[in-house]
Amino acid sequence: MRAPEDRATSGRRAAGFRPRLRRTEGAPVVAVRLLLAGGARCESIPGQALLTGRLLAEGTRRRSWQRIAADAEGRGMILSSFSGYETHGLAIDALAEDWQLALEWTAELLFESVFPADRLQWLARQAAAELEAQADQADLLTARAFGEQLYAPHPRGRPLQGDATSLASLNPDHCREFHAAALGWGAFLSVAGEIDESKVDARIRELFGGLFADGAGDGDSTRADRPRPEPAPPATAPARRQEIVTRAQDQAHLFLGSRTLPRAHPDYPALEVAGVLLGTGSGLTGRIPQRIREREGLAYTATADTVSGAGLDEGRLVCYVGTAPETLDQAEASVRDELERFLVEPIAEADLERARSYLLGREPFRRETARQWADLMAVSALLDLPLDDPDWYAGQIARLTAGDVEAAARRWIKIERLLVTRGLPVSRECVRPT
Amino acid sequence: MERFRLASGLEVCLLANRQAPIVTTVLLYRVGGRDEAPGRSGSAHFLEHMMFKGSARYGPGEIDRRTQGLGGNNNAFTSHDLTAYYFSFSADRWHEALAIERDRMTALTLDPTEVASERQVILEELAMYRDEPWDALELEVQAELFRGHPYGTPVLGTARDLESIDRESLAEFQGRYYRTANALLVVAGDLGAETAERVEAEFGDLSSATIERPPVAAAPVPDGARRLERRHGEVGRLLRALPAPAPEHPDHAGLRLLATLLGGGRTSRLYRTFVDVGQLCLAASCALAEAEVASHLACSFEMLPDGDPSDVERRLADELASLRELPIGDEELERGKQILLADWVFQLERIHQQAITAALAIAQGDLEQPEKLVRRALECDTAELTRLAQRYLDPRAGSVFGLSLPETG
Repeated sequence: MRAPEDRATSGRRAAGFRPRLRRTEGAPVVAVRLLLAGGARCESIPGQALLTGRLLAEGTRRRSWQRIAADAEGRGMILSSFSGYETHGLAIDALAEDWQLALEWTAELLFESVFPADRLQWLARQAAAELEAQADQADLLTARAFGEQLYAPHPRGRPLQGDATSLASLNPDHCREFHAAALGWGAFLSVAGEIDESKVDARIRELFGGLFADGAGDGDSTRADRPRPEPAPPATAPARRQEIVTRAQDQAHLFLGSRTLPRAHPDYPALEVAGVLLGTGSGLTGRIPQRIREREGLAYTATADTVSGAGLDEGRLVCYVGTAPETLDQAEASVRDELERFLVEPIAEADLERARSYLLGREPFRRETARQWADLMAVSALLDLPLDDPDWYAGQIARLTAGDVEAAARRWIKIERLLVTRGLPVSRECVRPT
Repeated sequence: MERFRLASGLEVCLLANRQAPIVTTVLLYRVGGRDEAPGRSGSAHFLEHMMFKGSARYGPGEIDRRTQGLGGNNNAFTSHDLTAYYFSFSADRWHEALAIERDRMTALTLDPTEVASERQVILEELAMYRDEPWDALELEVQAELFRGHPYGTPVLGTARDLESIDRESLAEFQGRYYRTANALLVVAGDLGAETAERVEAEFGDLSSATIERPPVAAAPVPDGARRLERRHGEVGRLLRALPAPAPEHPDHAGLRLLATLLGGGRTSRLYRTFVDVGQLCLAASCALAEAEVASHLACSFEMLPDGDPSDVERRLADELASLRELPIGDEELERGKQILLADWVFQLERIHQQAITAALAIAQGDLEQPEKLVRRALECDTAELTRLAQRYLDPRAGSVFGLSLPETG
């Protein structure tokens, strides 16, 4: 087994395509991940990235979607194609003996997908229906409105699905062109599991040769060296507060927060520790769940995160409470009070140490399975950060002082800039955005 | 693997697995919703919450703080049959999990102020389930499927019953059921040679008093095809629940395979008929929900906005009839088995999952049961599956069909 640092050097574009491999012990499985630096942040029509990602499993020059599904499930494989805000791509989990097939099928779906029009039409209909189904869930509907408040017109301010109109406007050429472009913006492959790394490496060179910066392989012209389009920035003066009516009968939902920073920002580790102190730690230890749930009994779910969703683009501070409409004001006041106190009071050394221990102690749980390793390595490559190197991460957390965490929190959490979305059950009063 | 029983009656299972430097402990009590007195529904779950709210050595919130300080995680769950608590830590610092479990087993505080505060938290949990369209539908279908049986009462209890649960009733409930002789402990992961000694030191000296747990009655089978309807949101959600035998029954393994053929993956019958090909639904699935004395097969459908629920109901009836009347093809059968086998392998990738699976299996009376069920399912042939479909997959013989329909239209 090679040491993690041997593999932690993949550059995003300058170094070209550099697969990351890891042999893991335990279950006889293999996990393959292929990410393309596309995603909704690069799309020109809302929903384009989502349908492009999903269409990768809907037919190739060699096989229909039915055959692809039957072949995969006939081997017990879990094959999925997907899209997020920053990538689209493929994931295959298979029994270890099928590692070659997993790689071959990843290459086939990546290079030979045909984006059939009839499947696009169905997937567009399905995506529109997903928006409706999500809207029945009051917390999701409120979260969606909060996302728009924070990020619009940036793509993170809208659902991955776009909307019914944008979905209806998409055709196979939109997806074909987006996929081809994304191949040029960056491709990241990771393989983990019970594998022989040298054999896997050799097979990757045969199958994905065109992606390598040195052109090794079959001469395919796809090269990860083209600049990605930059998305529109978020609005500078969004509405401070808004209330929406949900389809709930009982609970109200509170989202309160602001945009913070991208994953690669030097303040990220300190702000992550602040997040643990506020509410992302183990159990109900954070200040927000302690206050809202444990002391005041206002909610079953009360959370706070300072770097939620941070990736290439900015993540966010998000405090969430699901509570009775009658106690919504109290919950909001308590959340604000906790944030204000957090920003003015010094962080106790014992609290800092506990947060640090939590972040370091959870690391083995994030590297337990082949699937986790494959995910971690692919995202590390995408972000051009050695996230898969436990020593690198531990070093970042270990050197932080209470002063670092306090300073980062004060830089990125501004009480006067907090945005609020409240989702009220039907029949409750609603005020319009201000 | 090592199994033994302490003088205190605690059943212990140590599962050594060095794939990662992690240890998970699961302490499971044989008590759940089915053991609650009339008018006190939700007691088992309420007590589970209170187990984090203070004991002699660990004040309110201290268990979570210690867990965090040691870089671990913890949680608990309650079902109709059991209540389980778990911790996961790095292998060099897991021992405090045992000390915490002993302390809250033997010296739980149950402060009245904390009880009152936690009641509000649970009422919010109830409200959350009522607002979530799938949770609300599942609860109503389960109540109808097991009408008159303890499995038909929600584990969280009712708001009215929760108001009547107080410090004294919780203390009485805990005193009766939270005993070493009514519990089992699984410790899994990167274990040292001293593990058994540590367990003995922590739990060996406790009282071995046993408890007579009343057996739960066999679950009733609904008479004919029952229906229930509710209104929520703008998307239709349908759930057909069919009674099935408990995991120890010889037919159970084959039903797992049938559930896989119906709803396991993209090539499954329901997914093709209702989603990928039929394009009537956004999602379709089938799962075998298991409990100690009864299981049920749940076929779920999330409809497209313009879909017709009666069309889904009719086509589902056709699919079930097809399984009862026509032989299953070889390719489909082999694919179903492969999916089942791979699921089993993937399920056991994590130490935490291995520990939970082992604890649930021992509680059911056989540690080997999960693997036996997979093996037995892999031996099923077409004739056996047809027989099982004829016996269990006829909605007219007893089932519940729950419809959550749009509020408008």
